Amino acid sequence: MEALFFNIDNGFLEGIVRGYKSGILTQNQYANLTQCETLEDFRTQLSATDYGGFLANESLPLSTSTIQEKATQILVDQFNYLRGNAVEPLNKFLEYITYSYMIDNIILLITGTLHERDTHELLERCHPLGVFESMPALCVATTVEELYQSVLVETPLAPYFRDCLSANDLDDLNIEIIRNTVYKAYLEDFHSFCGTLGQPTQDVMQRTLAFEADRRTINITVNSFNTELSKEQRAKLFPTIGRLWPEGNNQLAKADDIDQVRAACETVSEYRTFFNDAGVSSSSAHGNGGIDDLAAASMLEDRFFRMEVFLNKQAFLQQFQYGVFFSYVKLKEQEIRNLTWIAECIAQDAKDRIQDFIPIF
Amino acid sequence: MSDEYPSLLRSERMSLVQLFVPTEVAHDTVHELGELGDVQFKDLNPSVNPFQRSFVGEIRRIDDMARRTRFFDAQIEKEKDVVPVRPLYECAPLLTVGPRSAQTVDELDTTLSQYESKLTTLNESYQTLSERTRELTEARHVLRETAVFFDKAHTQTSNIRSSFDDSATPLLTSHDDREGGYSAGSFDLEFVAGTIERSRVPTFERVLWRVLRGNLYMNHTDIAEPFIDPSTNAETRKNVFIIFAHGDVVLAKIRKVAESMGATIFPIDANADKRADALREVENRLEDLQTVLYNTGIGRRSELVKIGESLRVWQDVVKKEKLIYETLNLFNYDVRRKTLIAEAWVPTRDLTKIQLALRHATEESGTSVPPILHELQTSKTPPTFHRTNKFTEGFQAIMDSYGISAYQEINPGLFAITTFPFLFAVMFGDIGHGFIILIAAVYMILREKAMAKQDNGEIIGQFFYGRYIILMMGLFSIYTGFLYNDLFSKTLHLFHSGWTFPDNSTRGVYTGHTYPFGLDPAWHGATNALVFTNSYKMKMSIVLGVIHMTFALCLQVPNHFRFKRKSDIYTNFIPQMLFLQSIFGYLVLCILYKWSVDWTKSPVSPPSLLNMLITMFLEPGKVDPEKQLYPGQGFVQMVLLGIAGVCVPWLLISKPYLAWREMHKTTGAGYVTLGNGEETAIARHSTDETLEGEEEGNGRAIAEGDEEHEGHDFGDVVIHQIIHTIEFCLGCISHTASYLRLWALSLAHAQLSEVLWSMTLDGRTDPKSIGGWIGLGIMGFMWLNLTIGILCLMEGLSAFLHALRLHWVEGNSKHFEGGGYPFAPLSFAGEGKEA
Repeated sequence: MEALFFNIDNGFLEGIVRGYKSGILTQNQYANLTQCETLEDFRTQLSATDYGGFLANESLPLSTSTIQEKATQILVDQFNYLRGNAVEPLNKFLEYITYSYMIDNIILLITGTLHERDTHELLERCHPLGVFESMPALCVATTVEELYQSVLVETPLAPYFRDCLSANDLDDLNIEIIRNTVYKAYLEDFHSFCGTLGQPTQDVMQRTLAFEADRRTINITVNSFNTELSKEQRAKLFPTIGRLWPEGNNQLAKADDIDQVRAACETVSEYRTFFNDAGVSSSSAHGNGGIDDLAAASMLEDRFFRMEVFLNKQAFLQQFQYGVFFSYVKLKEQEIRNLTWIAECIAQDAKDRIQDFIPIF
Repeated sequence: MSDEYPSLLRSERMSLVQLFVPTEVAHDTVHELGELGDVQFKDLNPSVNPFQRSFVGEIRRIDDMARRTRFFDAQIEKEKDVVPVRPLYECAPLLTVGPRSAQTVDELDTTLSQYESKLTTLNESYQTLSERTRELTEARHVLRETAVFFDKAHTQTSNIRSSFDDSATPLLTSHDDREGGYSAGSFDLEFVAGTIERSRVPTFERVLWRVLRGNLYMNHTDIAEPFIDPSTNAETRKNVFIIFAHGDVVLAKIRKVAESMGATIFPIDANADKRADALREVENRLEDLQTVLYNTGIGRRSELVKIGESLRVWQDVVKKEKLIYETLNLFNYDVRRKTLIAEAWVPTRDLTKIQLALRHATEESGTSVPPILHELQTSKTPPTFHRTNKFTEGFQAIMDSYGISAYQEINPGLFAITTFPFLFAVMFGDIGHGFIILIAAVYMILREKAMAKQDNGEIIGQFFYGRYIILMMGLFSIYTGFLYNDLFSKTLHLFHSGWTFPDNSTRGVYTGHTYPFGLDPAWHGATNALVFTNSYKMKMSIVLGVIHMTFALCLQVPNHFRFKRKSDIYTNFIPQMLFLQSIFGYLVLCILYKWSVDWTKSPVSPPSLLNMLITMFLEPGKVDPEKQLYPGQGFVQMVLLGIAGVCVPWLLISKPYLAWREMHKTTGAGYVTLGNGEETAIARHSTDETLEGEEEGNGRAIAEGDEEHEGHDFGDVVIHQIIHTIEFCLGCISHTASYLRLWALSLAHAQLSEVLWSMTLDGRTDPKSIGGWIGLGIMGFMWLNLTIGILCLMEGLSAFLHALRLHWVEGNSKHFEGGGYPFAPLSFAGEGKEA
């Protein structure tokens, strides 16, 4: 049935987003980009792609941050166009996408204020998709309670914050806990919202969100080794969705090192491969565990990104569902990360690491 | 070299030439060829990345120059008072060829960057100055508004006091308690005052309300005039706010919120005298600043005016240079990197002209080494180039938008010059309406030069482009208007009518004299006029349609001869022609015969031709004597149907059979087809290469390897022919019916113009009173407007579209092959037009 009526409200936008998607850089274009010697070459090369002349009016010399900023601006413009043309429930769905950016911005502002950074500088660093009206006022708050009462209560994120009001003083650990609690609440809410959207969307989105939840669970576990976070607290931060939930989550809550994490993930065949090399390297060089864990975590991170790209690409295989909108934003974000990486490598003349981006198509 | 006169019948004969250009003259040569606009260069390094090509550095530099000119353009556009920009044709040209060309470009580069830095500094200082002006203005507003507020508070102390007494606001009450009430004129309450963007006021107020736990006493007023950012011209509107609070912590909090929300806070003193002093000072400083700002603005403007004088020349030069270097990037270096090798398509006719241009370029650049040009033999398909003039351009564009015809194919655009306006006019036939569009076209043609220069906008531009089409359409419409005897739905009595109406009877009597040209005016207003014109126009559209299709079908023949496919004449052309003629050609003959018979004197009533055609298929050979058109009809129809029936298998089988026989012959003679064409190509290529190596590598096209060799598979031929047969046979029927649109549109047009007349002007043309004259005036105005708007523009557009369809679908499907690619020469003139 959804195929019958989907296009009435969303056909146009789905067409638009699929058009946008075909503008995502391909392997070939990346190959060309990585051969660039200077950032001007980079610009020339990009002007032959869908980005067109987006840097044409920038005066030389270019900086990586301008490239990133301009590329993000393109994504934001596209997203706003989609949002401006969307009707319920797609509108709501798109709004949900912005929530994750809002959470990031809030945490950024709180952390920045804690370390007494300049407010305006902080505001400039916020992701434009997650900006909301009363956001600047976040700098004033000193306790979570105050934060909630003065600013967050009127944002759509208010329900997510309700669970972490108990944390009283803001320090780095608490902020991290808040971020994860809020994100957990957000993921669960988004997950259940997607459940109300009917079959194809539910299918595609819950698959993507389940992975997102698992990724967070594993990340929290890996990052909480050797910190003062207690295991009970850790367990509370795990989203109650995802393919690892509940048995995997329980095991992860008790895990003490990366091998136990791997054991917990054994049940899901896709995740098994993530730890293959990581496990080997950790067992081979047991002496300097700290550094090795770090390397393993970064490798893990990389694999997570690859998996995310893969899942988001899968979303485009099915029509008549909202997953494409979410996936497009995520893919484009990855593309911007890639561009920034390549540009950074060019600028710093680190040619040997230039291939470390994650190709999309 | 061909000496035939250039014609539109076939596209221009093209040659592939190879140019050896010494590096020193390369730039000037390309410049000269670009001015000539007659050479299409081929990309000789398609596998090379754009930024690895030879002239990337130059292109990058020119891109930067282009960015600067764009920056100037944007600055000039942003300036509020219009800065005059001298148009290109009034400027002295900047020479970029010749021995000094490199210096000229270098100089231009420095000039541009100088101007840019000058303008940027001016902009910056202007920006800082206006920023400070803005701040001061805001301060002034805050001072004034707060003064108003304080004054009000003074006069209304009693009110304030009473309201505070029963107020539940805890902060103020506690204050009240401690201080023991207000005395008029002494404000000990602390406050924060400043300005904030208007859109943020509600959020600001809400956040403050929450931060202060509901104890908010805030006042704000709008600042009437908007603040304009000089660099972006964006308008912001601001509000003055003042917040009363007590306690350092609270005040600090308010300040912090205000700052983070982008508000500007100004220190304001509670004392009225000090405020007055501050206001005076602010006003003084503001005045000074404004003078400085004004002077900076003048300086900036004069700089812009200076830029505006030569901006267009710079843009032109930059554009040309960029084009030149992009073209040079298509070239190949020879081994010793002394000369550039280019390959290009040129019209064979213009070879001498290009040789001359090359010589001229050499002379200009002041060197003695001329570029060498020689023709290459190639098996590649050249681009299609129709040499048009301003008259044929529009008609050719109509056909090109359907498809680019194959190289040297018969060009339907030539015939469209008459058939297109004629079919249009059949639908649009009205002397008056034709005259209106004729006048419009003549006006555009007379003002051609002036209109070509100015920017006409999208819609007028389209009409202007098609002015000669409109001219022809107008002329033909007047002609068909005479045929239909239609002038704004009225008739003309040019000759004596062939009918009389004796004794006011409604039945006309034939006088025995035929109206010499067009429709007899007596039909106008007759009760059976519609019956008559319908039958007449319907039959006429069938006749015209069959003639048009037959003609289009005949255009196959020269193509078959030109492309050496003589067998196609009897496998395709003859069966198709027989099929069309034996059914629809016969119908046309019957129509003409039926028109020629005087049915009033005939013993039988006139038979319906439509039924005749249907029974011809359903009951072949049988004709009801009641409905017989001529004796022996049954037999003739059976023979014709037989011919048509034979044509179908003939068309279906003969071509595949020939292909099969050909294939059989080659295999029979002992040849074996290679797996694919490519292998042979590669094999030949490699032997070629070895040969070329011995011959110093001259005279062979460099980019020849990528020619596609289409495998002519037997299966393809069969499938293609099946599709072709079905398409043609069904097409004959549906296309003939499709020509009935000529009748439908013409009928609709005539009816619409009649309705318009009867609803506006009918009965008012002879006014007796002043009211009548006024009514005539209003109605006449309405009639004129609707005639132009609906009948000429809308109806004209619809008739145009239908004529377009008849040419594209009904006409072109009979002979058009297409699949060519257009000739896109390097041309500065074309680029200029686009921008």
